[in-house]
Amino acid sequence: MSLSGLLSQGGLPHLATRCGGIDFKNPVLTASGTFGYGREFEGLIALPALGGLVTKGISPKARLGNPAPRIYETAAGMLNSIGLENVGVEGFATGKLPYLRTCGTKVLVNFFGTTFDEYVSCGEELGKLDGIDGLEMNVSCPNIKAGGIEFGREARVLGELVRACRGVISKPLWVKLTPNTSDIVALARACAESGADAVSVINTITGMAIDPFTRKPRLATIFGGLSGPAIKPIALRMVYQIHRAGLGIPICGIGGIQSGLDAVEFLLAGASVVQVGTQNFIDPASAERIVREIEEVCRQQSVSDVNELVGALSPHA
Amino acid sequence: MRYFDARIIENRALGGGYFVLRLGGCDSLSASRAGQFVMVRGDWGRDPLLPRPVSLLSVAPEGRADLLAKGIGRGTRLLEGAQPGARVSVLGPLGNGFPDATRETTDLLVAGGVGLPPLFMQAEHAARRGLVDRCEMIYGGRSSRDLVLMGEMRGLGLSTYLATEDGSVGRRGRVTSSLEARIDHHLASGRNSKLRIMACGPKEMLWAVARIAEANTLECYLSLEAHMACGIGVCLGCAVPAHSPPYRYTCSDGPVFLASDVVIPAAAGPSTRSAK
Repeated sequence: MSLSGLLSQGGLPHLATRCGGIDFKNPVLTASGTFGYGREFEGLIALPALGGLVTKGISPKARLGNPAPRIYETAAGMLNSIGLENVGVEGFATGKLPYLRTCGTKVLVNFFGTTFDEYVSCGEELGKLDGIDGLEMNVSCPNIKAGGIEFGREARVLGELVRACRGVISKPLWVKLTPNTSDIVALARACAESGADAVSVINTITGMAIDPFTRKPRLATIFGGLSGPAIKPIALRMVYQIHRAGLGIPICGIGGIQSGLDAVEFLLAGASVVQVGTQNFIDPASAERIVREIEEVCRQQSVSDVNELVGALSPHA
Repeated sequence: MRYFDARIIENRALGGGYFVLRLGGCDSLSASRAGQFVMVRGDWGRDPLLPRPVSLLSVAPEGRADLLAKGIGRGTRLLEGAQPGARVSVLGPLGNGFPDATRETTDLLVAGGVGLPPLFMQAEHAARRGLVDRCEMIYGGRSSRDLVLMGEMRGLGLSTYLATEDGSVGRRGRVTSSLEARIDHHLASGRNSKLRIMACGPKEMLWAVARIAEANTLECYLSLEAHMACGIGVCLGCAVPAHSPPYRYTCSDGPVFLASDVVIPAAAGPSTRSAK
């Protein structure tokens, strides 16, 4: 349909939104660990068409990953145990950030540490860099024994960590929550009460796979993080639980999003924005397509502003 | 490298589960090097989820690309059954490739079973440049059913040395025994041509080839295979242990590696030569 035709029907839907202290041109971001440092997708996708991107998780020093095999495909999903391999703060600042400053979309930097102090110092250093719109704390990676999961699983510890990071980071601070918990709302509440600007929900779900012939685990580290469309119902449930709790903290929905309709489901459950993850591996241009599909859904449903969809779930009569 | 839709023009079964998928609309693959690969996915819904890495067999200027694969897992079995006219998404060309044939070198192309495509393409490129006499194919499988495209290789004018484990065609035994025999032949001939090895096939075969190359101080290139999700160095799933840095990535650093750059496991048993 032509632009004039659309305008005669009431205009293009408004896709701009604000979440966690950041203004986005649309609610579609790409998820950490599935989009590298952005440049890898140059020529495959128009980065300025996206709401934003979240970089691979950065630690204070460069890290090597886990032994192979690191990934295994499962029914409608995949397990990964990459081991948070990354270039470190310095490598990121000198080698990756110059490109990201010119990429034309909002940039959030995912970060982590293996100790309390590492989290704080990493966040503080990254927070001083120009060209970063916000930080996303990874407190939920299931692969690192010494950090990650321990911080993210216990609300009290998580709250202390977020508060400490908040004290040294003036940029918007998001926290990516682990789904490997019996009480996702308690974790979100700890973040809200400790000064986080938003929660990203959810990270991967811990799982495993076995080769019945060799009797070996499919991953060298035995356990890995499950992602992809297989986890979407769990992610939706957790987004909705947090939204329903009325904590006042914005939610970024993540988990198995493959289409604009999938994204709209997350908005209806209460997410203000979404991140596209594993789908970037299947179709490197999918995040751009999902923006167009959300726009199309809005037009079909006569929604003039995408923000009208946020939390607009209708109960059964 | 581009991401695009291609159409299946032809799906030719070669027996033994092997098939050649001829794709149209692949103009952006026309400059591909031998050894490069593509990520391919059909309209499969959500299972299997990920695209499949498949080596290029041949590319032609009019946008045609041939892929050779064997129906083994879910993805390759779906490709095996794919009908002409069907759409597949393609990301490529990906990875590096083998070094070009030269007048000063003799390349021993060692293919094991489904590892044939990149080496066939290497020979085809050599033939186009009038250098097919600078390479030879040493091709092995379990039985004659595992050896395909023999007519096409003859058509290139390529010298081919076959080995099957059951002796149904060619020399009886592993392809590595044939490789050792060809190395002995070339070294004994005293010709002043640098001998190189380029290999693709099962991992155990590749490690054996690397050990043979090392024992004979020959330059050796291995085309490796690994589980991967993206093909472009993002998922970091396809790590292979290397000397420095400790990991390299099959998709973005490879799939072709100098054997001396990657960690070659020690032989589990006696070497092929001492077992003769």
